[in-house]
Amino acid sequence: MTLDASSYIDLDKGWVDRRIFWEREIYDRELEQIFARCWLFVAHESQVEKPGDFAITSMGEDGVIVARGQDKKVRVFLNACPHRGNKVCFADSGTTRAFVCNYHGWAFGLDGALRGMPEQKLYEATPGFDMKDWGLKQARVETYKGLVFATFDDAAPTLGDYLGDFRWYLDAVLDVEEGGTEFLPGATRWVMNCNWKVAADNFAGDIYHALWTHLGGAKPTLDAYGGVKIDHENSYQVSVNGHGWEFGNNMIGNAATMGDRELLRYMKSRAETIAARLGDFRKNMWGSVSSATIFPNFSFLPGYFTFRTFQPKGPRQIEIMAWTLVPKNMPEDIKDRFRRGAMRTFSPAGILETDDGENWENCTATNAGVVTRKQKLYYGLNPKGGDVEDGLPGDITRGQVSDVNQRAFYRRWAELMDGRTWAEIPMAPSQMPVLEAAE
Amino acid sequence: MSAGLVSPLVAEPAASCPPPYLTLDQARAAADQLLSPSGQGAPVDDALLLKIERFLRMEARLLDEEKFRAWYNLLAEDLFYWAPVRESRYRRDKRPEITYAGMTFFDDRKADIDTRLKRLETGMAWSEDPPTRHVYAITNVEAFETGVSGEYEVHSIFTQYRHRADYDASTLMGRRRDILRADGSSFLIAKRLILLQQSVLMAKNISVFF
Repeated sequence: MTLDASSYIDLDKGWVDRRIFWEREIYDRELEQIFARCWLFVAHESQVEKPGDFAITSMGEDGVIVARGQDKKVRVFLNACPHRGNKVCFADSGTTRAFVCNYHGWAFGLDGALRGMPEQKLYEATPGFDMKDWGLKQARVETYKGLVFATFDDAAPTLGDYLGDFRWYLDAVLDVEEGGTEFLPGATRWVMNCNWKVAADNFAGDIYHALWTHLGGAKPTLDAYGGVKIDHENSYQVSVNGHGWEFGNNMIGNAATMGDRELLRYMKSRAETIAARLGDFRKNMWGSVSSATIFPNFSFLPGYFTFRTFQPKGPRQIEIMAWTLVPKNMPEDIKDRFRRGAMRTFSPAGILETDDGENWENCTATNAGVVTRKQKLYYGLNPKGGDVEDGLPGDITRGQVSDVNQRAFYRRWAELMDGRTWAEIPMAPSQMPVLEAAE
Repeated sequence: MSAGLVSPLVAEPAASCPPPYLTLDQARAAADQLLSPSGQGAPVDDALLLKIERFLRMEARLLDEEKFRAWYNLLAEDLFYWAPVRESRYRRDKRPEITYAGMTFFDDRKADIDTRLKRLETGMAWSEDPPTRHVYAITNVEAFETGVSGEYEVHSIFTQYRHRADYDASTLMGRRRDILRADGSSFLIAKRLILLQQSVLMAKNISVFF
């Protein structure tokens, strides 16, 4: 299939064709051109802390195992036996020495290599068979400050080049304290009948919806702070290589929605330390009204709490896998308050999340109508926001209510969907030095 | 004992002062109690079991009818209300499947329930307008003495069916373990463990209580 992606979007005119949220052919091409090529988030290193630890996840619709070997290296490989195709790992997480297929008992090491099988002598007597040829298919793995990413594309740029200067902003989440970060135990998983891009583009740049969608959930917690308010002057949208981050710069907001004054007190108490580490500007990004997506489907609310992947499960369904990220050195009681705050706001029963799911499902389902899905969606919001301070990397604009990040998301989507090689896809050169990891 | 339950339908809304927050240690202790080997105490007598069953049926009806503030008044001030997320693990995995520190659907104190109700009361909880219609069935009720006078360990199964617009329907089933506390002629819910069977929630949200 060839696809002229530019016929589905016109970012100068500011529209996106609704068929990209519905049609199977487009979805199948996304799996090939986006999910099998991009760097995808697969785990936090804390999920596989010790040799033998493993966790499962998906890269596109490919099930994968993330495992730490006896050599302490984290590897990612397909959870599919090369003999008849069955899974080789059936648990969500755990500690093991081997992954053994239930069908014929082929066993694979923590490095994914085929180690043995019942009646192994028969295979050894089979001309041309070599154990080395039949391990679990490996992905390339790189990490950035605790976050483990993988890709199945040997031609993809390095993770550093893929993230580019987005790393400078990521440090406002991943490097606020000595000691790095961790995921609290467990993942919340749930299904939603929406297209994956509806969720991913929301986190990349749609604070606008919060002013309406989340009125009910925000009122009980934010009224004490004057309700849901956006500071158009003191807020930004920034994008790098299709990744998007919209944020206020006032260190309150998302944190306040958790409705726990102890958390706000704690964050304020850390302000000086964080400023010394990251400067005033990034200090103010921790816990502000903000959201971000690392292209294509890894999204989070910066500074704390929910980190999630929107795993594609067909053109009209996703599985959300969500974790809670905290600085490792945070006091235990504060970690617990963050965890509970995340559960109370952005989780399936959260006072904010419940209204998102409703919208995203309907944004997808209406496309069943052939007339409906031939309509265009307006992504053109582009208010003049005024100049931005010098020295802030990436494509940055003033004012967080804008569609500029979402347009950048779809520009990258189109570049990949056109079938361009990585060499043909523009990558923003990194300008900012990267801090050494905190650990 | 006669079953002269005070109808919560006519009860006043919650008092304005926030209920006490459980410390981390208190919350962990509550979780431990709910997770500890259960059904060890002596079964309560039939009259008390009947009274407990009537209470649970009334509670389910209040939730069916969205009489949330009346339901709220059945919650103890030191409530621990907990729906931990499950994970698929190998049988050989020695870690406890559920620990207090993990992810949850609910990990609420009474003040958190109040926040949730305030959301509904804004009239701007769009995902509940038009309202969800729900129905709860509560079955398999067992009740045991706990060693604390007037507190009972109560096990039950819930089936919760809901439907909203078009084809938007969902059924959730699970087990509950409650610590009910005698309160005059009725009870208060002091602790509740909600154990859903799904490790991947097959629904877009949980906009309901259990």
